[in-house]
Amino acid sequence: MRESGTFGWSNLVVRWSVLGLVALSIVSMLVGFIWLPSVQGDYSAQGLWASICRAAGVPADWSNGARAKQTSVSTDVVLERSMARDGANDAVGRGATLALNCTMCHGAQGMSESNAPNLSGQYPEVVIKQLYDYQNGKRSSPIMQALAHKLSDRDISDLAAYFAYLPKARTAPTTYDESLPALVRVGAPLRNIAPCVSCHGGIDQKLGAPWIEGMPKDYIVQQLKAFRSSGRRNDSEKQMRNVARSMTDAEIDDVASFYARKASPGGTK
Amino acid sequence: MYNAKKLVLAHFWVAFIAFLGALVLGAWQMYVRSPLSTWVKNPEHYYRSVTAHGTVMAYVLPTLVAMGFGYAITELALKRPLIGLKWAWGGFWLVIAGTVMAAVTMALGKASVLYTFYPPMLASPFYYFGVVLVVVGSWIWVALMSINLRAWKKEHPGESVPLAMYGNVAGAYLWAWTSVGAATEVLVLILPASLGLTDTINAGLARVFFSWTLHAIVYFWLMPAYIVFYTFFPRAIGGRLYSDTMGRVAFALFLVFSMPIGIHHLFADPQVGAGFKFVHAVMTAMVSIPTLLTVFTIVASVEIAARLRGGKGTFGWVKALPWNNPWMVAVFLSFIMLGFGGAGGLINMSYQLNETIHNTQWVTGHFHLIFAGAIVSMYFMAAYDLWPQLTGCSPVSPKLIKTQIWLWFVGMMVLTMPWHLVGLMGMPRRMAYYDYSNPELASQAWTVTMSAIGGFILLASGIVLIYTLATATRRRASVVEPFTFSRPTHPGAHTPVALNGLGLWVAMMVALTVVNYGYPIAQLASLKDASVPVIPIGSR
Repeated sequence: MRESGTFGWSNLVVRWSVLGLVALSIVSMLVGFIWLPSVQGDYSAQGLWASICRAAGVPADWSNGARAKQTSVSTDVVLERSMARDGANDAVGRGATLALNCTMCHGAQGMSESNAPNLSGQYPEVVIKQLYDYQNGKRSSPIMQALAHKLSDRDISDLAAYFAYLPKARTAPTTYDESLPALVRVGAPLRNIAPCVSCHGGIDQKLGAPWIEGMPKDYIVQQLKAFRSSGRRNDSEKQMRNVARSMTDAEIDDVASFYARKASPGGTK
Repeated sequence: MYNAKKLVLAHFWVAFIAFLGALVLGAWQMYVRSPLSTWVKNPEHYYRSVTAHGTVMAYVLPTLVAMGFGYAITELALKRPLIGLKWAWGGFWLVIAGTVMAAVTMALGKASVLYTFYPPMLASPFYYFGVVLVVVGSWIWVALMSINLRAWKKEHPGESVPLAMYGNVAGAYLWAWTSVGAATEVLVLILPASLGLTDTINAGLARVFFSWTLHAIVYFWLMPAYIVFYTFFPRAIGGRLYSDTMGRVAFALFLVFSMPIGIHHLFADPQVGAGFKFVHAVMTAMVSIPTLLTVFTIVASVEIAARLRGGKGTFGWVKALPWNNPWMVAVFLSFIMLGFGGAGGLINMSYQLNETIHNTQWVTGHFHLIFAGAIVSMYFMAAYDLWPQLTGCSPVSPKLIKTQIWLWFVGMMVLTMPWHLVGLMGMPRRMAYYDYSNPELASQAWTVTMSAIGGFILLASGIVLIYTLATATRRRASVVEPFTFSRPTHPGAHTPVALNGLGLWVAMMVALTVVNYGYPIAQLASLKDASVPVIPIGSR
């Protein structure tokens, strides 16, 4: 077989293909950017050009210049990955000195003898976020708000560096068998409860989610109940309030017992 | 064939062995989330498995098959040895190295991102390096296809490029341009974040870049199957190709329209304007035209075969078809899957209808039916048909081929039809488990059991495939018949010059991409405060 014709604009296949494609593009653009938006009130309210821009996806100011209403935010802290990095030696040392203030409740090595949370091995961004939240009044505790009030930015990051430097409380890694409470392992999909292990370590450890293995049971129960009643509101996306909202007392107890039973100071880091 | 036998065999074997491994994972995934099994103990294992299954089935299998098949077509259709054999081996080893690198990363649980590159979820950089190596290896293939065609044209001025090679090079150019989207996303946005150089990523822009690749890649997977439809099948059933030109039109249209349509994957994404979504929906509708042309041409070719065998009447000729011929069975079943899958696809691409099935199990059903069903069954047939040329064996047992193809068809239908049904009921895709004890979900449980059974039938078919190909070489042929392609009905016809080259169509493809993607990309790239914090998988 041989080819026929000469290539160029005079070639009918070339000409009609190009013209056809151009026509198709123009027609579909007219429909998509002018005709369809014209029948939608919110697109066409501000005239043709605004409607074309909106159809093209140009970010628009929907408030007509009016200031957006201030809504209460759950936290002022923006979690950044830089917060999660290991601190330098001098930061750890300085943090250790500052941490002498914390020992009364959180234990000499960050392992609590009371029902205050353990801090040893806690992720740095967790400590940073909570301290700022206490400072800004986003999380309430008469003791912690008073103590956090006088801390500088550097104090906060040094304290976080020191606690992250200490070994975590853990006896053994969590294994995934049927003995884990269902909420820990698989959550409750139809109640919109994600499994604990998908954020708090096990499957994945999300930025800002604390290490809770070995935490005092009473502390976990108290916090879950606080989230459930919206007494505590410093979870930025309401993630813990949504999880706790439909949990029963028995479930809270079950989950808290599971995480607390592993308490043992100075495990692996 | 001349020099490329070992090369093509290596591509096919690695592709099919990886394919069998991914089939095992697929069947396991269906089993653990069906009521037959208790909930998977660690859902992360499920997502790891989905990532591996998808990476092999979407990137490794079709890329290796398209490459190997392309090399075979080059020698068989152009009737000259492959130029650049050493480069081709280099490309092959790059693909292997990339696959191994990605596989190890996935196995370690550092890449459970479900094989789609949707930030802010990020895998370990080694996963992306692996995928980049696979793509770079395939770019060598693209260059070699172009070089070989050019060399042939120089020697045969004014002659029609053989249809198989025309489709093959169209597929290569399509892939070259298609892969630019994901390559840009990985190199410019993902790798810097994955390597820890930046803490945030423009997720909306990344999704638009990925959509550039995500839909058109499907047509790169599809090209070998369409080449088989046009140039193997009519010959194999003793017919004639109804129209050689129609084949070229279909390949050219795929080149133009498969590219600038990917935003139909982003119908639910707020960062893309509704106008562009509509334009992409229109262009997606246009891609059904080359498929409909192909169905018409192939059915017409089948009718010619039937009439040559004495078939009579308006529909009476159907009885005269060689229904015992494995090719007849395979293409018949493939067209059934193409029909259902294509109809489902039209629903996916419709801007409004998409809302009802977006991100449901329906979507999984759609792409399994059309790719794993209609297209991959043609990969099998291409391998069976080329096997005597590659290994010097006698023709592969028709009985085994029919067994394998029937198992594949039945398995695929049993797998995907329940998925379509529950997708309409709203079952989301990519879930490790469903709570069947809840009364609202209990009635859907049987469908998941059905799909799991389908998955195991498909696994059985995969085992038959490997067995058939491995044992075929035991029976040596005394003489291997020279390979032939389908003859057109009118062998003396001329090929319009525009359909003998790809320049015009490549230019239209690039121009349409600029029109359909230029503004959304430029706008998202220049948007301030569009970046979100990255979420690395398995970093702690």
